[in-house]
Amino acid sequence: MKKTKSRFQATKINPKRFHPAQFRYLAVLLPIAAFMILPLIFIFNHAFKPFEELFAYPPRFFVNRPTLSNFTNLFAVTGSSGIPMSRYLFNSIVVTILVIAVSVLISTMAGYALSKLHFKGKKAINEINTIALMFVGVAVTIPRYLVIEKLGLIDNFLIHVLPYLAVPVGLFLVKQFIDQIPGELIDAARVDGANDWQIYQKIVVPLVKPAIATIMILSFQSVWNSADTSATYINADVKKTFAFYMGTLTTNTSAVESQGMAAAASLIMFIPNLVIFIIMQSKVMDTMAHSGIK
Amino acid sequence: MNESGRIRRPLKREKRMNLVGWSMLLPWAFGFLVFTLYPILSSFRYSLSEVILDGAGIRVTFVGLENYRAAFSSAAGFAFLQSVLDFALEVLFKVPIITVFAIIIAVLLNQKIKLRGFFRAIYFLPVIIASGPVINQLASQGAATIPLVEQMGILDFINRTFAPALARPIAGVFDELIVILWFSGVQILLFIAALQKIDRSVYEAAMIDGAGPWESFWKITMPALAMMVRVSVVFTIINLATFSENPAIQHIRSNMFALETGFGFSSAIAWIYFVALALILGIAVGALSAFGRKKART
Repeated sequence: MKKTKSRFQATKINPKRFHPAQFRYLAVLLPIAAFMILPLIFIFNHAFKPFEELFAYPPRFFVNRPTLSNFTNLFAVTGSSGIPMSRYLFNSIVVTILVIAVSVLISTMAGYALSKLHFKGKKAINEINTIALMFVGVAVTIPRYLVIEKLGLIDNFLIHVLPYLAVPVGLFLVKQFIDQIPGELIDAARVDGANDWQIYQKIVVPLVKPAIATIMILSFQSVWNSADTSATYINADVKKTFAFYMGTLTTNTSAVESQGMAAAASLIMFIPNLVIFIIMQSKVMDTMAHSGIK
Repeated sequence: MNESGRIRRPLKREKRMNLVGWSMLLPWAFGFLVFTLYPILSSFRYSLSEVILDGAGIRVTFVGLENYRAAFSSAAGFAFLQSVLDFALEVLFKVPIITVFAIIIAVLLNQKIKLRGFFRAIYFLPVIIASGPVINQLASQGAATIPLVEQMGILDFINRTFAPALARPIAGVFDELIVILWFSGVQILLFIAALQKIDRSVYEAAMIDGAGPWESFWKITMPALAMMVRVSVVFTIINLATFSENPAIQHIRSNMFALETGFGFSSAIAWIYFVALALILGIAVGALSAFGRKKART
């Protein structure tokens, strides 16, 4: 412990050499980490299970004789429907990018205003957001539908995007991180002549990159995986998303086949989540360390 | 920055602050108002009404507290209230475990260890597992939280590898562990962020003054985490409460289009749930700050 501490490393977080003192930490971390990956291994295994293994009792964790038949079944159904799969995929990608980009901008701006600026009504807004956080999403499905109907946005492509832009949880998390930035840092910038927009751009955003990466992952989750919007607010098939499409594929076929296809479909749906996660997670964890926040 | 060339009358400081603050908040406030706040408020109106949805649209008749009375007197209401009670108990057990677990893991992940980046990634992984297609897939097999371990054959594996006397407690821990692990990704992140703010030299100074790791943890680490404990408890409760497989939420959803109850009733129980949740949060935060004050005095 003493030895590792004296070696200063500004940029790398992994120590160069293995030290016996690390054993006690690894002894705890390693088994739990192994357990942590189990669901991941499960979903990969499950998708390649042949028919009889899917229904085997007791259920098996690992696949015995991997097969691609779940995937070929899935793509066979894809070919038979009218609209090409790429169309749904395109819709999903556009929606996801729009939501992530705009919601990050909106919630970091709001988070900065609520955390570091002083204006009338700030406290009330904070409280209202915390209260809204507690309200269950399902309960507002119908009122929200009525609002959207009144705005004439039913069947409009934008409805995939708009409701996800101002999510209470996102603002809650971002604000917690912005609260950690010392006020002195912002005062110093102000003394140097920076205006609020510059402070937001040059100081706040770089410092809360971990929070931004976090809400990016979270909002990617909620948008990419959401079939509800397509099911509730969209009638035209060309405007529906990939998640919805994957859902219909597996429900329209016979129950026996659909189990395997559902497993394959959820693996396909899951892979972008994993990719985004792998890309973003390094930013999530490490940027706080040497960013001047003390 | 080339404002210096122009001459304009500066606004009063307070007025300018209001203007700047609100202009940065505006896009968010607008979206929030339209798609979250207004629907929430109108659901309160529906909770006081009989709501009939048919092809023609929506018909709302004011019935006063009828739906709330039904929630406390009908079978559907009792089933819902039971699920809220269960949830409160769940919070009582899980929130402390999740918080303590997240702190321990965060402290461990903040040490200088081999493969630290890799470990951090793994422990953040539940964020994509607990809310993605994985959980849907697992839920569709009738295994949302605890029976899941059984489904995946882990219990089987434990029973086969360990002696029966040993297998039972291990299986019990695993049963709970999966829930704890899956709901602690963001919390671990919050604690790591707070830990990284602590200056390492404080620990060195404490060590020179003769403090061991135990004292350092309670006198340096924990006070720095106090604020985040609160945030993490709030986040955990809300995360558990709004988890889509939560029984109380299932009740709200299934009553929405049910014939004998309907959306009015569903809105009413949603509001009861909301009040219950506010109470739980209030008690939790109150207990935390009372504990904090007591600590500060000693």
